[in-house]
Amino acid sequence: MVYRATSILKDQGGDGRFVRDGRELMAANLYRPWPARITSIDELTAHEKLFEFRLIDPHIREAFTFECGQFVELSIFGVGEAPISISSAPSKQGFIQLCVRRAGTVTTALHDKQCGDIVGIRGPFGRGFPFEEMKGHDLLLVAGGLGIAPLKSLINHVHDERSEFGKVTILYGSRSPADVMFRKEFEMWRHRKDFNLVLTVDGVGEGEDWDGEVGRVTDHFDKVDIDASEAYGAIVGPPPMYRSVVELMRELGLSNDHIYVSFERNMRCGMGKCGHCMVGHQYVCIDGPVFNYWEAVNIQGAM
Amino acid sequence: MLFRVLDKSEVSSLVAGFALSAEVIGPVRHQGTFVFDEVGSDPSRLCLDYTTTILPPKKYLMPPRETLFGFSTAQNRIEEPKIEAVPRVLFGLHACDINAINRLDEVFLDSEFPDPYYAAQRAATLIVGISCMPDEHCFCTLWGTDEVNRGYDLFLHDIGDRYLVNILSVQAAETLARATHAREAHPEDSAAFQRRQEEFKAAFPEMPDDSGLPMLMDAYYEDTLWDELGARCLSCGACSSVCPTCHCFDIIDVLGPGGDSGTRVRTWDSCCSPDFEVVAGGYNFEATAASRVRHRFYHKFLGYLNRHGEILCTGCGRCEVACKAHINPRAVIDGLQSQAVAARARKVIGDEGQQVPPEGETAGKVGV
Repeated sequence: MVYRATSILKDQGGDGRFVRDGRELMAANLYRPWPARITSIDELTAHEKLFEFRLIDPHIREAFTFECGQFVELSIFGVGEAPISISSAPSKQGFIQLCVRRAGTVTTALHDKQCGDIVGIRGPFGRGFPFEEMKGHDLLLVAGGLGIAPLKSLINHVHDERSEFGKVTILYGSRSPADVMFRKEFEMWRHRKDFNLVLTVDGVGEGEDWDGEVGRVTDHFDKVDIDASEAYGAIVGPPPMYRSVVELMRELGLSNDHIYVSFERNMRCGMGKCGHCMVGHQYVCIDGPVFNYWEAVNIQGAM
Repeated sequence: MLFRVLDKSEVSSLVAGFALSAEVIGPVRHQGTFVFDEVGSDPSRLCLDYTTTILPPKKYLMPPRETLFGFSTAQNRIEEPKIEAVPRVLFGLHACDINAINRLDEVFLDSEFPDPYYAAQRAATLIVGISCMPDEHCFCTLWGTDEVNRGYDLFLHDIGDRYLVNILSVQAAETLARATHAREAHPEDSAAFQRRQEEFKAAFPEMPDDSGLPMLMDAYYEDTLWDELGARCLSCGACSSVCPTCHCFDIIDVLGPGGDSGTRVRTWDSCCSPDFEVVAGGYNFEATAASRVRHRFYHKFLGYLNRHGEILCTGCGRCEVACKAHINPRAVIDGLQSQAVAARARKVIGDEGQQVPPEGETAGKVGV
């Protein structure tokens, strides 16, 4: 293995053109973040914002393709990096959406940024949902809380190729009406009957406007409308949610290897080296973050 | 493979030969023990009959602190990463440490994502191995890592007043030919090598029984053994620092004095440190010392094996010395075996009509 120990930008041709294409540029050093401009910020809730980024270098922007369920490492120089799953759909190219909760140092620094500010992005990393394999089947997509962020990529992608899928039920649980994200989009989809949508909240405070369901996602499995034998399920949410939702999916008749879960871990390098995201014998950053349930139960300490 | 015979008196010439074009690193004496350090062109500092160094040679391939690139916070701009490798010869590495570097190569080179920093330094590094005699902490024979067949450029087998030299790379072969009077090997050299091998094998004490080790890691995943070890563990991370195969790292930003520029740095990290698996928001996936100790050995005995077909330990014994809580591979294997024996004993008593503890109590979950 010989690596050319030179700066990659020295490969620029005399006319200022890149000799290598964006994909090669990224692969040459996967630790190197690429500058991306914040092109829009949407305040979803009091703690979560939806950021849209545009990679500045056109070669990189063109080469940056991803799958639903993959993540990027977001850099705020001087603060650090954080792994964040992509919320936009692969079918929409040229930009990347990240739905970010103000939780740690990097996400707090990002929340303080304005439109037009520049951050660093490297990736995408990990294994996403088996989108192609899911085609032709019914889907049951379940999100809890911020779990909607990675699942949103799959939902949007399914929406963009809606005719390829059978019946689709989406169960999305939040703490309160104020915590429900992407409300406008859900409203639109409900009116157009694109999906069988079940939005539920744990409780409704006084004076809060809510016409959805109340209770946990697990309380509303009677509203699921799919042919379970060949269907695919996907679950993203807080860890305690997985076990109970999987149980209900199993009762419906979904097979273990058709139920997909996404794990949240502290992915530092994204390349199966630094060890921070290891669970059992698997690296969440390269073997996941999306695993099917059969794989997940075979990982010690995962479920 | 090519063999030559080199008189011990010519080792200094060989070192000088390498020093013409590279920095030579070797074992030197330091405060009553040994460390790897630069010997320069002065081979007299080399202690080739050393036992084990405090730190393994991995520090020359993945430095404890390594700058990935610089950046400007004022302009939000990254400086193009410059990957610079130092031409280096690691002289006098034991088989365990070369086997360990081969394992690091698996992670950093033979991967879908080769690591450009490690790759550049590895490509600029020559390795000269040397045969050894075990001390009381060595247990390489347990894993078969007392021998190494790849990953080095030269290997010097001590056969009395001379070395039988195994040659793997053309670069090293040329230096050997240019700098020394190494000669063809004769049958008596082979015989001397064989005698020395027998002596070497006989010098090891009895090894623990590691049969079924990967399976035991799963079967005793929920065992009290881990609580006992966790109660002792100081979470200091010394084990990972001295381990030649441990390669976990963290990536952090370090700001310069003015705060308007800084560097992104990769530093050694340990899965035994309390915040290793903390995610944003504060949730800790390995919240207790017990689960972290288990995690570390699970990766060494099963996780890495699953991916690369080898155990992530080469029996160098450094952690036996470094760990103040006496947690080390041999102690874990002994612990697992004694738990297995205890479980068998309970089963036998059960067969004679007494209370059998329910299976789930000690066995980990298996399947769905």
